[in-house]
Amino acid sequence: MKIDRSKMGTDTLDGFGGDRIVRAAPAKPESYIPFQAEVVDIDVESSNTYLLSLRPMNEEDEHVAINYFPGQFLMVSVFGLGECPISIASSPTRDPLQICVREAGKITQGIMAARIGDVLGIRGPFGNGFPVGSMRGENVLIAGGGSGFATLRSLINYIADDREKFKEVTVVYGARTPQDLYFTTEYGSWQAAEIEVGITVDMIDATWKGNVGLVTSLLADLDPAPGASALCGPPMMIRVVAKDLLGRGFLEEDIHISLERHMKCGVGKCEHCTMGRYHVCTDGPIFSYDVVGDLI
Amino acid sequence: MTSTTALFISREDLIHLLEELSGTLEVVAPVLVGDEAAFATWRGEALALDDKNPLASPVEFFLPKKEVLFRYVQYSGRYTFSEDPPKARLIFGMRPCDLLALKVIDGIFGADLSDLPYAGRRRSTIIVALNCTSPGEGCFCRSMGSGPVAEGGYDLLLTDLGRGYLVEAGSPAGVYILRAHHRHFEEADIEDIKEKERLLALAGEKMIKRGPFPNPEKIREAIDGADWEEAGRRCLACGGCSFVCPVCHCFSVLDQGVPDGERLRCRDSCILSGFSRMTSGANPRPDPGERLRHWYLDKFVYIPEKTGLFGCVGCGRCSRVCLGEADRWSFFREATE
Amino acid sequence: MEKIATICVYCGCGCGLVLHVEDGRVVGASPSPAHPVSRGRLCVKGWLAADFVHHPDRLKTPLVRRGERMARVSWDEALSLSARRLREIREESGPDSLAILTSAKGTNEENYLLAKLARAALGTNNVDHVARLCHAPSVAGLGIALGSGAMTNPIRSLLSSDAILVTGSNTTEQHPLVAATILEAQARGATLIVADPRRTQMAELADIHLAPRLGTDVAWTNGMLNLIIGRGLIDEDFINERTEGFSALKELALRYTPAAVERITGIPPGDLEKAAAAFGEAPRAGVVYAMGTTQHSSGTDNVLALANLVLATGNVGRDGTGIYPLRGHQNVQGACDMGALPIFYSGYQKVEDPAARRKMEAAWGTDLPATPGLTAVEMMEAAEEGRIRGMIISGENPMISYPDRGQVIRALRSLDFLAVADIFPTETTALADVVLPVASFAEKDGTFTSTERRIQRVRRAVTPPGEARPEVEVAAELLRRFSVTADYASPEEVMGEISSVTPSYGGVSSRRLGISGLSWPCPSPDHPGTEILHQGSFPIGRARFYVVEQQHLPEDLDYPLFLTTGRSLFHFHTGTMTRRTHLLDRERPKATVDINPADAAALGVRSGTMVVVESATGSLEIEARLTAEVPMGTVYIPFHFAEAPANQLTTRTLDPTSKIPGLKRTPVRIRRADG
Ligand SMILES: Cc1cc2nc3c(=O)[nH]c(=O)nc-3n(C[C@H](O)[C@H](O)[C@H](O)COP(=O)(O)OP(=O)(O)OC[C@H]3O[C@@H](n4cnc5c(N)ncnc54)[C@H](O)[C@@H]3O)c2cc1C
Ligand code: SF4
Ligand code: SF4
Ligand code: SF4
Ligand code: FES
Repeated sequence: MKIDRSKMGTDTLDGFGGDRIVRAAPAKPESYIPFQAEVVDIDVESSNTYLLSLRPMNEEDEHVAINYFPGQFLMVSVFGLGECPISIASSPTRDPLQICVREAGKITQGIMAARIGDVLGIRGPFGNGFPVGSMRGENVLIAGGGSGFATLRSLINYIADDREKFKEVTVVYGARTPQDLYFTTEYGSWQAAEIEVGITVDMIDATWKGNVGLVTSLLADLDPAPGASALCGPPMMIRVVAKDLLGRGFLEEDIHISLERHMKCGVGKCEHCTMGRYHVCTDGPIFSYDVVGDLI
Repeated sequence: MTSTTALFISREDLIHLLEELSGTLEVVAPVLVGDEAAFATWRGEALALDDKNPLASPVEFFLPKKEVLFRYVQYSGRYTFSEDPPKARLIFGMRPCDLLALKVIDGIFGADLSDLPYAGRRRSTIIVALNCTSPGEGCFCRSMGSGPVAEGGYDLLLTDLGRGYLVEAGSPAGVYILRAHHRHFEEADIEDIKEKERLLALAGEKMIKRGPFPNPEKIREAIDGADWEEAGRRCLACGGCSFVCPVCHCFSVLDQGVPDGERLRCRDSCILSGFSRMTSGANPRPDPGERLRHWYLDKFVYIPEKTGLFGCVGCGRCSRVCLGEADRWSFFREATE
Repeated sequence: MEKIATICVYCGCGCGLVLHVEDGRVVGASPSPAHPVSRGRLCVKGWLAADFVHHPDRLKTPLVRRGERMARVSWDEALSLSARRLREIREESGPDSLAILTSAKGTNEENYLLAKLARAALGTNNVDHVARLCHAPSVAGLGIALGSGAMTNPIRSLLSSDAILVTGSNTTEQHPLVAATILEAQARGATLIVADPRRTQMAELADIHLAPRLGTDVAWTNGMLNLIIGRGLIDEDFINERTEGFSALKELALRYTPAAVERITGIPPGDLEKAAAAFGEAPRAGVVYAMGTTQHSSGTDNVLALANLVLATGNVGRDGTGIYPLRGHQNVQGACDMGALPIFYSGYQKVEDPAARRKMEAAWGTDLPATPGLTAVEMMEAAEEGRIRGMIISGENPMISYPDRGQVIRALRSLDFLAVADIFPTETTALADVVLPVASFAEKDGTFTSTERRIQRVRRAVTPPGEARPEVEVAAELLRRFSVTADYASPEEVMGEISSVTPSYGGVSSRRLGISGLSWPCPSPDHPGTEILHQGSFPIGRARFYVVEQQHLPEDLDYPLFLTTGRSLFHFHTGTMTRRTHLLDRERPKATVDINPADAAALGVRSGTMVVVESATGSLEIEARLTAEVPMGTVYIPFHFAEAPANQLTTRTLDPTSKIPGLKRTPVRIRRADG
């Protein structure tokens, strides 16, 4: 199947939104057998984080590389080590499909051991993704902490490629040290697309000239106007930022949080990712604050 | 002969029928293993139908405790995959509670993103159910609406009348078996049908003392009010309650073998602390009590929301295996009093 | 799908389970409802008992060392080479330069044949097994006090108890089915007394929890006796009719007043009084203990003190009473029974006893050595000094399980020849000259004897992987290579020989073993077996009281904390099987050192901090976990983890009687890894 790219992007995504818990159809709902994707490029984001570009090996799987929403994730396999959930770090508006992997244990180490030309197994995309439809026409605040920034990068690039549809867009991002900041080469392009970007770190070194402290201090500086927001990061940071945003007049249902849970299947069967009545893999991973505020 | 008529089969003919069916299908039936009934491939041994429902539910023939999802073979960096086709099987002697458990799992594994291995086995398995004329000690299927009489979900349904079995078909496959093997059956007379009704009414009465159908609201209240911390203190983390429950279906996935090998799926238990622990070490349900609470909430609140059926069919197995000597259902009794 | 009833491979409870086999692979396990111990229940290890069986790491072909590499060879080559090398060493240095370590994981038949191999083929009594590290003090202590080192009653008997004292046993984690039985008894009204320095789940659920300082067991036990005597709660009839030596004990107990005991143990007198009253007043009381009691340099004394308590209150020989040394491995009891010990033939017949020796010589058709052999830890010393040059290790991983790992490495490296039989590659097979792949419990027939002396059938459910073979066959092949007759068509025939030379197994035959097995002593084919020992008399006539004093505990200011080691619920022994069981490894993926929050605060350590634990013998870098489960001054490390081998730290200070090392109380100090 050849994909007509002109049909992608905003048009396809228009029906999305409204309904906050939406199930997106994965590529192969019926099977646990992944398809194979070749690693076509590798970039180093930090000492323990790589950005991998992937290309499906078979034509029939190619649509996955473009047919997804920011905020969705893939189940990535290294055969012999296992399978784990990894957010899509690229935007459907751009080639190629990318994932940003941080070393956590044996599977992530296995993914990071891949070289260009090696093959990974992929299932997905899974999850609902950010409700970009309902964000359109709104101010958008994107707040990330640590490695959770990968999934937000997908959203930021998506917005940057369709900038005029959104009102004021602000990105705040915090990491432990300057070396832990991801996608540093792209901040300029976001600013060029009239996205306000605030970066901060916890611990500094001699070379750092930027902000120090929590992302909430950036919010105080940038004072974003209420609208839609997308959050991803450590639970502590999510709680603090959400509280801050509520104080600024953001509505609970407009605060979209990307959650992480232990996952094994990605399709709502294995029960590992349950959070109360929700399956994070199919009902999430993006939840609005009014739904999960008391669960996080 | 039509499918609407009930038929009768003698004990001897039943064995002949199973022998004939064994020629084309794997026949699974309760046989004695270590002095107790267990479902296993039938090879002509005596059937253990009089015992209580086996501890290991026949649901394992649909959702095995361990199965190969697929095999991977690597050749110069690229993989090829293979799966085993589902086995053609007949399960003989499945009880009403286990039948209903399958229906609940259908609602989860058969729903939207359906589970291929499960669906395949579901399609390739013939179910010969057995009504419970003498329910076991801990059974409370009547409270959960699953038994002691099977209501659908079977291909054939048997009721033990003592001298033989009353047989009813519940699907085209069942009708087909009755036709193909008609010489083992005789037409049931009205007395047989009356006898069936009498026996099942009797079985139902025995159970009515064990509580009426629960009210979901009251159960929710009871779950919220129960002392989960105390329940958790007594839990010895054996996982047995979920390993043995015919409705529990959670699983884990792992790979074995490099460069060629298998991706396996194995039964898991949300009672175990590592079940939801994340790579960071953070655990959304760190205490045993919280995990137990979630277990019941899932069965009595979340699964009903999703499937319209309770996630418990009242088979009583979880109480039989509990190591912690916890009275697992005290809250439930209060709710149904 | 086939279902095969067999016995769990992990702990000494000996639960009955059913293996589910699909297309020649074990796909699951479920509890056996009719089994007297499991009664339809299992612990998490039992539910997952078969998960490691088809792991791709399984050893599948015999291997022989060729320089740095291990080469695949035929069985014939591996066995002939082993026999030749062992024979050469024997010719050069005599039979006592050889030794065999058998395995408590093996069946009775395997242990019997390996002990026979040592004695009849190699000509040495240097044969031992891991029980040395668990219950040698029980064998020694209960042996002299009651005449038998075994558990006096079956586990089920506890259901009739009115009081149960549990000490040195993290029962819910290590013997879950015993714990379940105790909790059931408690629910029926029994008082549960737990004496444990750690606040284990058992302690948490107890009616009375005594938390003594590590290594002060004799003191509080004597203290309980003091109170029981003082309140007139002793059983005078029992003492007069069936025991001797009570007057000396009474004198001793007088000195262990509650105040004195508090000074030594830290137990408040009120608690001790409650415990003594509950135990003394109970018409039927039992004492349950495990490695926390035995793995001390005063292990035998601890056992004797508990035996005194049981005897003084007349709690022997009846349902609901008794003393229950909980065996760790599923077949430690059997390995001991089979004579995998340096001083005993099967059935505890002494090698030094000429009559017993003549009997065995006649049965085995060869001369047998008269001098007792070396114990496992002594073997390691002898190997290091070059006195032992050739060794066969079966299903054991001393590199992880033995104390003082550094010495074990040196010892095994000094050997001229080492053959190791195992199911998985281990740290020990890595040092072997010959590696023999053997069958797992799911792949062989035979018997295990559980902690309650219950001889039970293990059944083959699937075939071993590759060329792996049941060890009965391997041992028989080796015996034949030493010209000892060993024409066994099946493990049943080995059991036939065992019952013909072992009085307590005299009536045992595979045919007789139904789902409930048989408890020894079972001297004749028409004997029903003996569930409760010592009902009318003791094997030694009268039981004996022994005067045991609390040892002085030296303090070492350089090493202010005490390390105690143990097992976690989710792992077994050195983890070769459990760590290859997906769910079990996930539950406890890594080793941690448990530290009391107060100690941790003083050290500036938080949960997750990497710390260095140092003892006089070694040091270890490991993650800290803060928990009030351990009292101040004590730290705890489970010993399953090869990457953090707790036994790098432990000492070889031996109990003088039983020669068990003091694994449970090693002085250590802790510092942050980064500072
Ligand atoms: C929706 C979602 C999106 C994610 N996106 C990213 C991303 O973009 N980049 C990134 O680097 N990481 C991401 N993660 C986290 C990543 O999945 C975990 O770091 C990874 O599973 C760790 O596996 P491991 O084998 O390397 O670690 P280990 O700690 O060795 O894992 C041990 C075992 O536990 C299982 N496990 C532990 N935690 C998880 C988990 N959270 N989910 C599933 N299985 C788990 C693994 O399957 C493995 O078998 C995401 C997680 C989720 C839920
Ligand atoms: S919860 Fe218990 S009683 Fe209910 S179906 Fe499961 S095992 Fe049976
Ligand atoms: S069966 Fe009982 S002890 Fe076992 S996990 Fe369930 S609640 Fe806990
Ligand atoms: S208690 Fe022991 S014997 Fe029983 S299942 Fe658990 S490990 Fe096996
Ligand atoms: S990952 Fe399996 S249910 Fe969500």
